[in-house]
Amino acid sequence: MAEGPGRFGLVALLLWAASLVASPALAAGAPLDRGAFTTALCGDGAVQGTAVEGILHASAEAESGDVAWAGTVLRALLERRLTCLGGSALLLDRAGAADGRDAATGAVRPVAGGRAPVLGLRQRALAETASGAASLLTGSGVAARRAGLATLERRITSVPEALLLRAASAETDPGLKVSLAALAQSAALSSADPARRLGAIRAVSESPSGAAFSRLSALKADPAYGSDPAFRGTLDAALARVARAVSIGDGLAVLYNGLSFASILFMAAAGLAIIFGLMGVINLAQGEFIMIGAYATYGVQEAFRRLAPPAWLDAYLLAAIPVAFLAAAGVGIAIEALILRHLYRRPLMSLLATWAVSLLLINGVRVAVGSQNLQFAMPPYVSGGVPLYADFVVTWNRLFAIAFAAVTLVLTLVILKRTPLGLDIRAVTQNRDMAACLGIRTRRVDRLAFGFGSGLAGLAGVALCPIYSVNPGMGATFIVDSFMVVVLGGVGTVVGTLVAALGIGGANVLIEPLYGAVAAKVIVLAGIILFLQRRPEGLFAVRRRR
Amino acid sequence: MSGALDLSPGVPAARRPGPSLGGDPLLAGLVGLVLATALALVLLQPAPYLVNLVGQLAAFAILAVSLDLVWGYLGILSLGHGLFFAIGGYVCAMHLLAHAYAVTGTPPDLMQFMGWKSLPVYWTGLTSAPYALALALGLTAAVAFVFGLASFRSRVNGVYFSIISQALVYVAMLLMFRNDTGLGGNNGMTGFSRLFGWPMGAPGVVTGLAVATLLCLAAVLVGARVLVASPLGRRMLACRDDEARLRTLGYGTTRLKLGIWCLSAVIAALAGLLYVPQVGIINPRVLSPDLSIEIAVWVAIGGLGRLGGAVIGAVAVNALKFWLSAAMPEAWPFILSGLVLVVVLGLPNGLLDLAALRLKPTWLRRAGSRP
Repeated sequence: MAEGPGRFGLVALLLWAASLVASPALAAGAPLDRGAFTTALCGDGAVQGTAVEGILHASAEAESGDVAWAGTVLRALLERRLTCLGGSALLLDRAGAADGRDAATGAVRPVAGGRAPVLGLRQRALAETASGAASLLTGSGVAARRAGLATLERRITSVPEALLLRAASAETDPGLKVSLAALAQSAALSSADPARRLGAIRAVSESPSGAAFSRLSALKADPAYGSDPAFRGTLDAALARVARAVSIGDGLAVLYNGLSFASILFMAAAGLAIIFGLMGVINLAQGEFIMIGAYATYGVQEAFRRLAPPAWLDAYLLAAIPVAFLAAAGVGIAIEALILRHLYRRPLMSLLATWAVSLLLINGVRVAVGSQNLQFAMPPYVSGGVPLYADFVVTWNRLFAIAFAAVTLVLTLVILKRTPLGLDIRAVTQNRDMAACLGIRTRRVDRLAFGFGSGLAGLAGVALCPIYSVNPGMGATFIVDSFMVVVLGGVGTVVGTLVAALGIGGANVLIEPLYGAVAAKVIVLAGIILFLQRRPEGLFAVRRRR
Repeated sequence: MSGALDLSPGVPAARRPGPSLGGDPLLAGLVGLVLATALALVLLQPAPYLVNLVGQLAAFAILAVSLDLVWGYLGILSLGHGLFFAIGGYVCAMHLLAHAYAVTGTPPDLMQFMGWKSLPVYWTGLTSAPYALALALGLTAAVAFVFGLASFRSRVNGVYFSIISQALVYVAMLLMFRNDTGLGGNNGMTGFSRLFGWPMGAPGVVTGLAVATLLCLAAVLVGARVLVASPLGRRMLACRDDEARLRTLGYGTTRLKLGIWCLSAVIAALAGLLYVPQVGIINPRVLSPDLSIEIAVWVAIGGLGRLGGAVIGAVAVNALKFWLSAAMPEAWPFILSGLVLVVVLGLPNGLLDLAALRLKPTWLRRAGSRP
């Protein structure tokens, strides 16, 4: 706004803009004595301070033309473009220019012999606030007014309420209006009028948040807290109310994060549990199937960038769902056919084999793509969120993961319970030999189930793209937790996996804020080992013969 | 591999263990080789780098033998043996730092890093080597006992046991990455300057450590051989091959498994104890689940269920790793995973299968398959 040449043309523009924006109330108040103001600015520190403070308070009433003018002068002062010459002040286009315009009359005069006034620390702060107030009241664009508001916010205690009220009533941008109202409210908290103050305290406690709590607790240091019982009572009640609401909101946020973590865990562990139940194979490469899913998502995004119209880019995350599933399932089936098929009677060796595969996949991706974190464009449906209560915000990216897991759960149950493949999988899980005798091609079932389980991990990869960072080593973060989910839930049961994922995900996020992430893991592991004392088969053991 | 009903983890059919070292010429040869190497280090005085390398390989061999004892002879695959190795290593590092502090008066880095005036209370007494040794082995035995009791009592075994032990080492890693444990946090502990009062880098100390490690390896091999050849060893094999039947026959298996498990853990701690002063550093990466899996990989590659196989696997893989991770670090993970896949798919008994194919005369080959 106030940068670059041609500032004086801007004054006219400002006046015009202000007249557009301003309500009739803005025009009230006595006209400003411009000459006296510039003279005061050229004076010593005390005089400068009084003048700037005066203009700050006057801004609430003064005519908008005067406010815009004062803003221009103050900005020049702050940028050292103001030169005092005799009794008047000259405004320069840039610091060190040879000519300047008289601040009061606009006449061009040479600067020679002039002196730039020096601002003390306190005066500078005041001048910044006053110039911010001028931008807020008369700025022609939303951005300029927002910048002015930000300046005011930094020194809210020195800002008169009337100024904020005036700005709020004149403001046309809804977002800025909300911020202004909040700021006016907090200014009212430090108001001199006790009734107004109590009203502000109640109003703040109406919309509780962490910020509101700290704003209110700051008032405890106020002298009135000790002397005025009414003030004290109101403040304590408001604090208690806000504190309760904030802790409820935080609790909700913790549960929400736990639920989204559990969703990812569930998707990673469901495949693991199915494979383990069916074949007795622990797939240490499951984390890498998650990674494959995430990288497939990235591949789809890049393909959309290059091939599809830009308007379609937002749809890449949805388009990636089948691609990630098929990519992970394809790799899984290949691994099953090439390696695991030969190891079904040796579960511990298949463990080592899948570890070797995971090592191969991690390093293969590292060599092919690089080990940096991948950058994803976040479509609108996974960015931002809705503030629900106190500080609890329902973020879309986590909701995406939760909804995704819910759909996956339903589909998995449908496939296992309602399709011929599911029937075969359940039959082979319960009694492989008998199933083989009945003509089920157990090897084919194994292969398809392994592909299905790997595909589920690939889906987890899609779901976590908007939440976690994606790099070749990402699988390791989930793998130990998903094993614990399988152990706790019991092998071969989707419901058990779900309950265990919710339990472990929830326990992790519940304990984390209290004792830290490491303690959470230690407690969860100890809990699982203790639990296995009672039920070695897990929560929901499938009856089976192997 | 034998018939379709074989559920054992790729272990060769039960051999009838001989009464003495004579029954296992491979092992007898290895013990002889280990002792000869120790003698050669003392007499020939090779370059300190080489001596150090031999010492480290010997420490890894001890670690591999400890895992082979539970995996190869008891059928329990631990993916958490790095934990016991690390306990030995950490206690040893604490002793070295406390000792150097007492001798030289220079406070260790971790005190300066954390801004402490003195070492935390649980470092008390670690200046004494016998106490440190007792603490390392005792602590390991206690941890192994508690974890083993909880697992074996509820009959957690097979793959279940493997992944729970992996979670154990993973959690331990997270714990040690914290700086407030007083054990060096993510930097670990390093800068050991004194060993029993002698400066650490002196050639005599390097040779002494390597020779001590080799002697320990020989002792562990002989001891393990005596164990597996004893009636107890037969019971271990029986437990590995069919635990349910052994129970039915009236043998309690929990106590057997627990005892061998603790013994194996203590041997792993011994390996850590010997390894740390040679490599000069310990940090939480020792506890990464990958390293613990690698121990299993050494055993699988060398030959599961043969003490000599564990030694051969540990030495071969680590020598290759030392060479390749310097020569072509990018290729090492690919080679390692390729090696594992080849061994797992083609050589169920590891490199010893190669030997059994051609090189050995008939009278040395193992007896036929299990009935």
